[in-house]
Amino acid sequence: MDRLFFDAAALVAIVFAGLMVIGRNPVKSVLALVVSFFGLAVTYVLLLAPFIAALQVIVYAGAILVLFLFVLMLLNVGPEKPDGARRPIQSILGGLSVVVFAGLLLGMFRASGARVPVMAQPAELADPAALARVLFSDYLLHFEAVSVLLLAALVGAFVLARRENT
Amino acid sequence: MIGSIPLSHVLLTSGALFSIGIAGALLRRNAIQIFLSIELMMNAANLALLGYGAALGTHEGQILVFFVIAIAAAEASVGLAIFVALFRHTETIDVNKINLLKW
Amino acid sequence: MTTPLWLIPAIPLVGFAVNGLLGTRLGKSFVSAVGVGAAGLTTLAAYSRLIPFATGSHATVVEPVTSWIAVANLSIDLSFRLDPLSALMLSFVTFVALLIHIYAIGYMHGDDATDAGYARFFAYLNLFLFAMLTLVLAESFLLMFVGWEGVGLCSYLLVGYYFDREYAAAAGRKAFVVNRIGDYGFLLGMFGIFTAFGSLNYSEVFRKAAEQPATFSPALSLICLCLFIGAMGKSAQVPLYVWLPDAMAGPTPVSALIHAATMVTAGVYMVARCNVLFRLAPEVMLFVACIGCFTALFAGTIAVAQNDLKKVLAYSTISQLGYMFLACGVGAFSVGMFHVMTHACFKACLFLGAGAVMHAMSDDLDIRHMGGLKAKMPITFWTFLLATFAISGIPPFAGFFSKDAILSSAFESPSLGKLLWFVGLFTAGLTAFYMYRIVSLTFFGQFRGTKEQEHHLHEAPASMTFPLIVLGFLSVVAGWLGLPAVFGEHANIIEPFLAPVIAPIAGHEAGHEALPHAVEWLLMAVSVAVASSGLYLAYAWYAKQGGRTPARIAAAFPAAYALVADKYRIDELYDALFVRPYTRLSHVLWKVVDVLVIDGFLNAAAFIVELTGDFLRFLQTGNVRNYALTFFLGLVALLIFVVGAL
Repeated sequence: MDRLFFDAAALVAIVFAGLMVIGRNPVKSVLALVVSFFGLAVTYVLLLAPFIAALQVIVYAGAILVLFLFVLMLLNVGPEKPDGARRPIQSILGGLSVVVFAGLLLGMFRASGARVPVMAQPAELADPAALARVLFSDYLLHFEAVSVLLLAALVGAFVLARRENT
Repeated sequence: MIGSIPLSHVLLTSGALFSIGIAGALLRRNAIQIFLSIELMMNAANLALLGYGAALGTHEGQILVFFVIAIAAAEASVGLAIFVALFRHTETIDVNKINLLKW
Repeated sequence: MTTPLWLIPAIPLVGFAVNGLLGTRLGKSFVSAVGVGAAGLTTLAAYSRLIPFATGSHATVVEPVTSWIAVANLSIDLSFRLDPLSALMLSFVTFVALLIHIYAIGYMHGDDATDAGYARFFAYLNLFLFAMLTLVLAESFLLMFVGWEGVGLCSYLLVGYYFDREYAAAAGRKAFVVNRIGDYGFLLGMFGIFTAFGSLNYSEVFRKAAEQPATFSPALSLICLCLFIGAMGKSAQVPLYVWLPDAMAGPTPVSALIHAATMVTAGVYMVARCNVLFRLAPEVMLFVACIGCFTALFAGTIAVAQNDLKKVLAYSTISQLGYMFLACGVGAFSVGMFHVMTHACFKACLFLGAGAVMHAMSDDLDIRHMGGLKAKMPITFWTFLLATFAISGIPPFAGFFSKDAILSSAFESPSLGKLLWFVGLFTAGLTAFYMYRIVSLTFFGQFRGTKEQEHHLHEAPASMTFPLIVLGFLSVVAGWLGLPAVFGEHANIIEPFLAPVIAPIAGHEAGHEALPHAVEWLLMAVSVAVASSGLYLAYAWYAKQGGRTPARIAAAFPAAYALVADKYRIDELYDALFVRPYTRLSHVLWKVVDVLVIDGFLNAAAFIVELTGDFLRFLQTGNVRNYALTFFLGLVALLIFVVGAL
């Protein structure tokens, strides 16, 4: 059962990711990505990480992508216009290398996947309280450091986007 | 029931998402869309992390993803601020046209 | 409390430093005082050692000062040596140098030398004296070489004293370069000595050579030849004599001191010092004698046709040096040194007299413009005449006894002895002839110069005539130190004095049988006759006739006369043989090797770097996507590598 759900959610994520990449209109891309992230959130739940799933929806889909939308509206960016300057080398080489890469990954996972067992998941993995206990004991320093990082990002973003006074 | 998701599925999904993200990053001209592709790549990595965390029965996967999301948030805000500042100067987000460091 | 030997060269060195550093600021009187004072002090110091030495036991004294070089098996100390040979040299080097320093005050004063030039001159004179005394008093070949090079340097500095005259500067260079060629031989000889004997100290080398002649004989031929090449350069023998006539471009005191009395005799001194080594190489001795004899004749013939007063004296010096080497070559080292001493006296006198004449003639040295100076410059005339008699070998003046001793030693030497004697005799006649020629043309007859020159004619000042008188006196009496045996068993003072230096060699018979007295008297008579006929011929042709016959002879053989007057065009020969090809080689090395190859190589390297940069800069497209692609390609490559390894 779980496997089915997982496959379905994964498929949704992949399809909409593809739509995001292909789409001309940036706004459409962002929206496609939002859906993709929802799919991913479902997979997170199935992987016994409900708290992370919640974070994915709230923070990633709900804050970061909204921020993207916001900036898009601010800059009033329209759909991408096909313009004269073609860069064949970039496109061809880029496409080729991606294909090769995908193939490599596939090969790697196929080779190693047989050895990794089907996941045996203890129930307490999904417990947010247990997660919190680990987070605030073993990883307290990392936690505080990330909060400082967030502060730095806040200040940086503020400084960078400031309008220069003449 | 619960323990029936093979890891290979997880990894394949992650790999596919990552490849799509790379393709988007290399082949698009719009700066915002390139950034979106990068976010997609990060999510692919998150999925892989969670998959291994579940397979190994440890909390570390979730903790790492937690931090990754926080950092992604920081990075997104700063990156977008840069784009805004850039756009003010150049009136375009076409990456091809932003090439002052050209020879 | 005896004066230490090292003080003797040190005093003029201090004089050099003081005059060199402070002279320009302190005025001419100060400079003169320091210069002459240093020369005088060092003479006093020298004689304070010499007098007890000469009247006492003449035992060789070696005074070490400090260890100088101590590397592996080479150990050379800074030591000074006082033995009969160096005592002899010391006696006249210091005294003649002092007289010339005094003379230079008057001579250079007239020169419109600035204070800087005057100080420079006396500083260099003192430096020269330091180097020469180091050379004389050295106890090792290396220290002697230091002095050797030092006198060469001072010769360059002083000949090129008038450095703003192209001719003088070139002459200085020529002197230095030709000397250098000889020095190369000296160096090779030193290397040979060190290799063979393991030491460069005189005591050790000569002791080993004397004790085991057979071991060292084979190597010594080459070593002595190399040493003699050094002597040829320093003492102006054929073929390395060409610098000496040109060196007359320097001030006359320089010519007198360096190129007559002291520096040029350093070669003879060196050969006499190494007599032990040379006696073990008889072929080289023969070579030395032949070169000396040939040089004497060669230079004598050139002197006959010269019209520049100092040039005649220069060639005469070369000729007399040839005599000294002739003496050493036939084994009569003490006789050679005797001639060095007498020559120093009369040649210095001649040069200083020439300087006085030059001053009187407003720096004109062409004897064709002179004449009748006897009345205007009596002191100069009389001293010049005395010195001329001395150099011509007229008894009882100085040159007679030394020259006669040389000729009789040559006569009694085996193999080529008689030939050498004959050539030497002929050259003696030639010497008398050309010397009296210049005396006649300069001091007798009518004055042939310009009116202004005639007005300017005057006797030299006291500072210049005083040394002339002293040297003139010495030209008369100096010879009496070496009266030949015919005058009595103990008549000769100098030969027994120098005998300890001619050390006995194991297995070789010492000395030679003396000539029978009758033969000696005969030889003396013949020498006197030849010299007198030379004098008389010059008197007849120049003083009485005013030069008609020689002019006719010159007109009869124009090509021959031109060749001799042009000094056989040896300078031109050297120029074509050596100087020009060398210049061309340098030119090629410059234009091809330096500019094309070396610079070209460097420029090419830079050019290639530039080219690469020009090519590589196209990687900077400025496009971020390209950079991202590059990253990604690298990642893919890495992955392939990893997967492949798996």
